Amino acid sequence: MNRDKLIRELRAVVGDEYVLVEKEDVIVYEQDGSIMQAMPEIVVLPGSAEEVAAVVRAAKQANVPIVPRGSGTGLAGGAVPAEGGVVISLARMNRILELDLRNRLAVVEPGVINQDVTKAVAADGFFYAPDPSSQAACSIGGNIANNSGGPHTLAYGVTTNHVLGVEVVLDDGRVVWLGGQVPDCAGYDLCGAFVGSEGTVGIVTKAVLHLMRSRESVRTLLAIFDRMDAATQTVVDITAAGIVPAALEMMDRLTIEAVETGAPVGYPRDADAVLLVELEGVREFTERGAREVHEICMHHGARQVRVAQDDAERLRLWKGRKGAFGALGTLAPNYYVQDGVVPRSRLPEIMRQIATISARYHLRIANVFHAGDGNLHPNILFDMRTPGELDKVIAAGEDILRACVAVGGSITGEHGIGLEKKAYIGLLFSDADLNAMAKVRKAFDPDGRFNPAKMFPTPITCAEMRRAPAKIPAGLWI
Amino acid sequence: MALSRALLARLKEIVGPVYVLTRPEDVVVYEQDAFLVAHALPDIVVLPGSAAEVAGVVRAAHEANVPLVVRGAGTGLNGGSIPIAGGVMLVLTRMNRILEIDPRNRLAVVEPGVVNADLTAAAARHGLFYAPDPGSQSVSTIGGNVGNNAGGPHCLSYGVTGNHVLAMEIALASGGMTWVGGRSVDPPGYDLCGVMVGSEGTLAVVTAVVVRLLRKAEAARTLLAAFETIDDASQTVSEIIAAGIVPTAMEMMDGVVMAAVEAAIHAGYPADAGAVLLIEVEGLPDSLPRQMERIETICRAHTPRMLRTAASEQERLLLWKGRKEGAGALGRLAPSYYLHDGVVPRTRLPEVMRKVVEIGKAHHLRIGNLFHAGDGNLHPIILFNPREPGIMDKVVRAGEEILHACVEAGGTITGEHGVGIEKREYMRWMFSDADLLAMQRVKRAFDPSGVMNPGKLLPLGTRPDVTIKPVMTAGMWT
Repeated sequence: MNRDKLIRELRAVVGDEYVLVEKEDVIVYEQDGSIMQAMPEIVVLPGSAEEVAAVVRAAKQANVPIVPRGSGTGLAGGAVPAEGGVVISLARMNRILELDLRNRLAVVEPGVINQDVTKAVAADGFFYAPDPSSQAACSIGGNIANNSGGPHTLAYGVTTNHVLGVEVVLDDGRVVWLGGQVPDCAGYDLCGAFVGSEGTVGIVTKAVLHLMRSRESVRTLLAIFDRMDAATQTVVDITAAGIVPAALEMMDRLTIEAVETGAPVGYPRDADAVLLVELEGVREFTERGAREVHEICMHHGARQVRVAQDDAERLRLWKGRKGAFGALGTLAPNYYVQDGVVPRSRLPEIMRQIATISARYHLRIANVFHAGDGNLHPNILFDMRTPGELDKVIAAGEDILRACVAVGGSITGEHGIGLEKKAYIGLLFSDADLNAMAKVRKAFDPDGRFNPAKMFPTPITCAEMRRAPAKIPAGLWI
Repeated sequence: MALSRALLARLKEIVGPVYVLTRPEDVVVYEQDAFLVAHALPDIVVLPGSAAEVAGVVRAAHEANVPLVVRGAGTGLNGGSIPIAGGVMLVLTRMNRILEIDPRNRLAVVEPGVVNADLTAAAARHGLFYAPDPGSQSVSTIGGNVGNNAGGPHCLSYGVTGNHVLAMEIALASGGMTWVGGRSVDPPGYDLCGVMVGSEGTLAVVTAVVVRLLRKAEAARTLLAAFETIDDASQTVSEIIAAGIVPTAMEMMDGVVMAAVEAAIHAGYPADAGAVLLIEVEGLPDSLPRQMERIETICRAHTPRMLRTAASEQERLLLWKGRKEGAGALGRLAPSYYLHDGVVPRTRLPEVMRKVVEIGKAHHLRIGNLFHAGDGNLHPIILFNPREPGIMDKVVRAGEEILHACVEAGGTITGEHGVGIEKREYMRWMFSDADLLAMQRVKRAFDPSGVMNPGKLLPLGTRPDVTIKPVMTAGMWT
């Protein structure tokens, strides 16, 4: 490719100041929230859908990879430019274009920060449901690419359940609408196929989001258990009793230790597991649901069940959970957060297996996760400076994912495939299944220019990508 | 179309000679579905008994380059299963086994020919139910529901078929079987399961479906509210939704339909009222009275003639009987009718309903309305006498004008019946050429030779090549 010609073209499209080419500028974009790195050659920050389309056309003509990026909080390496090329940062496109509360929808640009959507409508009694832990920083475009979830996904579903339509720039620079302003549009559900496609199909330039009405009443309980098994069984029984809490989160002994060392909230250090249960809805439901959850916890021998009496106490109960990841730093210099899913009925068994894997590799694994969804987040603690340790960590992570798949689960609940898990996607899908996906990829991106080397099980090209950094980035979220 | 002996022999070999029909008196049964204004004869009808047989038939048709049309119970309203280009019709009614019900993980695995209501009956033993409840649920099949992304009265709170299908096994045109989706929610990769739902047999043939089952609500309350005018009823719907209340169902029936229903079913509707709303709320027994009170307060602001809450389960079922069997009663009003399906944002409901009345007047046609008001999903029913010369043109034109009014108000051309041949040219009102091209890309990726249900869903740019033959018939569903 003629690099200088491409740079000139891009500058003509977005303006000189929004095309970055110097190493010290583009290095900021070499990494996301994962442990992988690769340098882009050019970073472009377009300000409109038309500019995105023109950038895509120029990059296609120059035959270079195109990697879209939101806030770079992704945990699977989806925004890492594995084959170099042009990174399109959508951070400037951060306007909320329309709020239509009577029809409960918002039209936003992809760079809008997740939390800003809820902030814009909270005073009117609405909220945007998907709440990834990174919600103060991550963008709606990134959430769409990864089909993000969060603690309250248990009751409200993931991103795809809240996106009605998207405006997308395709590989030839054409701008199309997939879906629309009403749910379940006629024709193929391409909006659904686009959500979670990790930048391999096109670039979203506008999204129509579904807003939900704020709940009348919220109740939060914290239950402390002496045995992990009793806690997981409690989760199974809450679900089986037909109660769907808004959130049902679990932390294990190691996590409790980290929280109490790093940012103490008063969990007993000798407890084996803590469950955080939140119920939302009409008063009658939350009151009765809280009572029933309390009973189920006690039935399984909970040492203690605390029910928040007011908002301040509610936030205190959540504080330990929200600060857990940061606190893991008190236990080890590095950690690798995995993301797997199991059917809820298999939760007790998989937690035992994780303990076995931890013992086998002599690696400590801290668990803090969305138990109600069966969405695990085992955090493998390690020290990058110990030679050979990272290999062990990756092997242990793979064993955990294999165990999840073996009980009928999946290799990712909400973080996506990206670079991190493309080698494992074969655990879940047969060649025929992957072939069906490849057909769609090819239909939309015949040259494979959109976010190459992601999602599909191609061999990892750069050896250093797998274990690049000498340091793990500070802010990791789940 | 002349079909080769070789193909016929091959099909007989795959499914057995008894399950291959070619005689005119046998295949004539399959010339039509519930889209009563068109019909076309298939050349061969095949009734496979297993997924492997389906795959064999699909491959044979693909290799012979002969159109392949899939059919469930033939209750579709858009002509989707009419073989307008002749060829092989694949009827899935023999594949009607429920393969598995897993109450702990709340899912069922079924063959495509399972009748919708049979699934709910089987799940009821575990206190569960399958939520999508099209009016045709006592006959329509899960495969057909999946093909058309079917809805129903209770979709207001539970969502349509797409929200309840977790995974499916499909036979591809290129030969071979594959699974899309997974048993755990939102598996990684492109959401091809979502793409298949609503694809109307134009991409692949479904051979097994994993559906989500829901826990039955503890209690239900049903309110019948009668109003002097459609306008009052529409305003009421708009305000209930705006107040943040989501009933499980909110159905409207106008005076035209009500007169027929009351004469046939005696459900206790006020036959001379302008419109009635049937509003149902579900949930915990404790929370229902308060919810009902809020709904009644809104109703009262619009001078209802009558508000009646069903006092017993028997009375509740009778109120529903009037709604569910309402369409059958229409035969009392006219020898034939054309049932339409459009959607509008709920804020525009009063205005579009006025427009529907105007269109009826302009064409001197009687139009009855019986529809899912809570969703903004209209079902204007154009009543007519097929023996009146030139009437069909008028009926089709009036229908077109109604759909156009829906789209102009920000709505869509179909809520739950699908596109089929009936509405494929109207797709242009909603989608730009670029949008449609994006759908074409997916179609070509899965069906490169174009044998899968040709002439459906996507516009050809010409009127459907079918015989228009109005018929009189009883059972139609909404």
